[in-house]
Amino acid sequence: MMTPEALSALEQLNEMRLTADEAAEMLSIFRDMEAHEAALREIDTDNVEIMVHVMPLTNILRDDVQEQPFTRESLLEGAPEHTDDSWQVPRLVK
Amino acid sequence: MGQFVTEINANGVIAVDDTIQVKGYETRAGSRILEGFKPLFSAETVERLEGAGYAVAGKSAVGEFGLDLLGEFAHGGPCLDASGALRGAAAELVAAGQVRGALNVDLNGAPRRAAALSGVDFLKPTYGTVSRYGVIPCACSGEQVGVTAKTAGAVRELLRVIAGHDPKDGTSLPAETYDYGNGKDVPGMRVGLVRELTDAASDDMKARVTAYAERMRGLGVTVEEVSLPLAEAARTAWNLLLCAETCNNVSRYDGVKFGYRSPDYRNIDELYVNSRTEGLNFLTKAVILYGSDALSKGRYVTCYDKALRVRRLVWEQVKGLFKDFDALLCPACSRTEYRPYAIADAFKTVFEESLFTAIPNLTGVPAMASGGVQCFADTLRESSLLNLAEAMEGSGAK
Repeated sequence: MMTPEALSALEQLNEMRLTADEAAEMLSIFRDMEAHEAALREIDTDNVEIMVHVMPLTNILRDDVQEQPFTRESLLEGAPEHTDDSWQVPRLVK
Repeated sequence: MGQFVTEINANGVIAVDDTIQVKGYETRAGSRILEGFKPLFSAETVERLEGAGYAVAGKSAVGEFGLDLLGEFAHGGPCLDASGALRGAAAELVAAGQVRGALNVDLNGAPRRAAALSGVDFLKPTYGTVSRYGVIPCACSGEQVGVTAKTAGAVRELLRVIAGHDPKDGTSLPAETYDYGNGKDVPGMRVGLVRELTDAASDDMKARVTAYAERMRGLGVTVEEVSLPLAEAARTAWNLLLCAETCNNVSRYDGVKFGYRSPDYRNIDELYVNSRTEGLNFLTKAVILYGSDALSKGRYVTCYDKALRVRRLVWEQVKGLFKDFDALLCPACSRTEYRPYAIADAFKTVFEESLFTAIPNLTGVPAMASGGVQCFADTLRESSLLNLAEAMEGSGAK
């Protein structure tokens, strides 16, 4: 069962914060989903292979040809902050 | 009513959902977290339509990442009809004749639901037949680009342009063209009416499906009730996979490389946390947190792995029905009208409603909303759906 402490750890892991009301609702969602998960566990899948993709496609690789689809400048244009050649973030080390 | 969140070409005839990239035009996927994001390339589907002479009129609103019912939690607000009922923005643009068609991403049934409510057609094609290159990704193993249009004929016309192998999409099937039917061959078809999904709908929706089945019989179609006992399991399995895959895909939004950055931070951790906290709505956060938990060490086997095994069982059950039936008929949604509601209720509401739409996302089979109802067909059998819809439209079912 999801606890407030475990939910707080999940928030941290996913780099986000919930308000107190949102956290209460999230715990309620986990409680609701437990019943549905329990119904799923009742289904016998002992001899059933997993199905990651519904179509039988594996290891599709393009030709090993070097390409330069975008310039560094164009990739930096969308960043909230950037220098001439890099994305800009707060100082990581003092 | 239907409006563009971004207008592109006054003479354009195609709306493109805001989860599909158009080069140089802001693509937010309905979210604050992608504020100001202008893609460096267009989606393959957009390229193909433009190459065939269809100009893009603009971007149509979607809920954040297409996760909600009908776009009700889009960053710019919901699309409402004159009575205040929720509508899908692209479906309303098509219904009003403002565009000839629209490209939409079917992630958890939103475009099918929207088409059924607005009285237009939407077809989610077989997984892998239409490129997903340039789609803002969430649940890559089941989401699919499809087409909204007023008639089955118009859906067919646009599908022929966008379908076919794309080497840039690793899940693209190898064929260059597919059979989308000829609008004929309907008499003698066999359609299964899915009991579990019809019984779960409201009385007015049940009446709509029953009337549609009766009109099908009038065209010489045999309609028989069938059972899909794993329908509820399919919903749970698809939502588990959707949340797990979305959790991974949405982890890229961190306020550094593109999109929204919180102005309030003192260090890199606060930059990440505040940008994501302010940039994502509660539904997306709930999807991420539930998906993250399903992928955790203690729950992986009982949730994520289990869902992948149930996916195979559902696929086998659906395939079994298609040995005897050309299509399966059911509601596209539980009711004929939806009203705005609080975002705190969104996860549970979307989960409940996805009972009607999850099977095609989970199994990759094609699904079409037309005449206010929905049909599924076997893999690569879009022709059955389009022929049926076209015949029904000819019989006055719209």
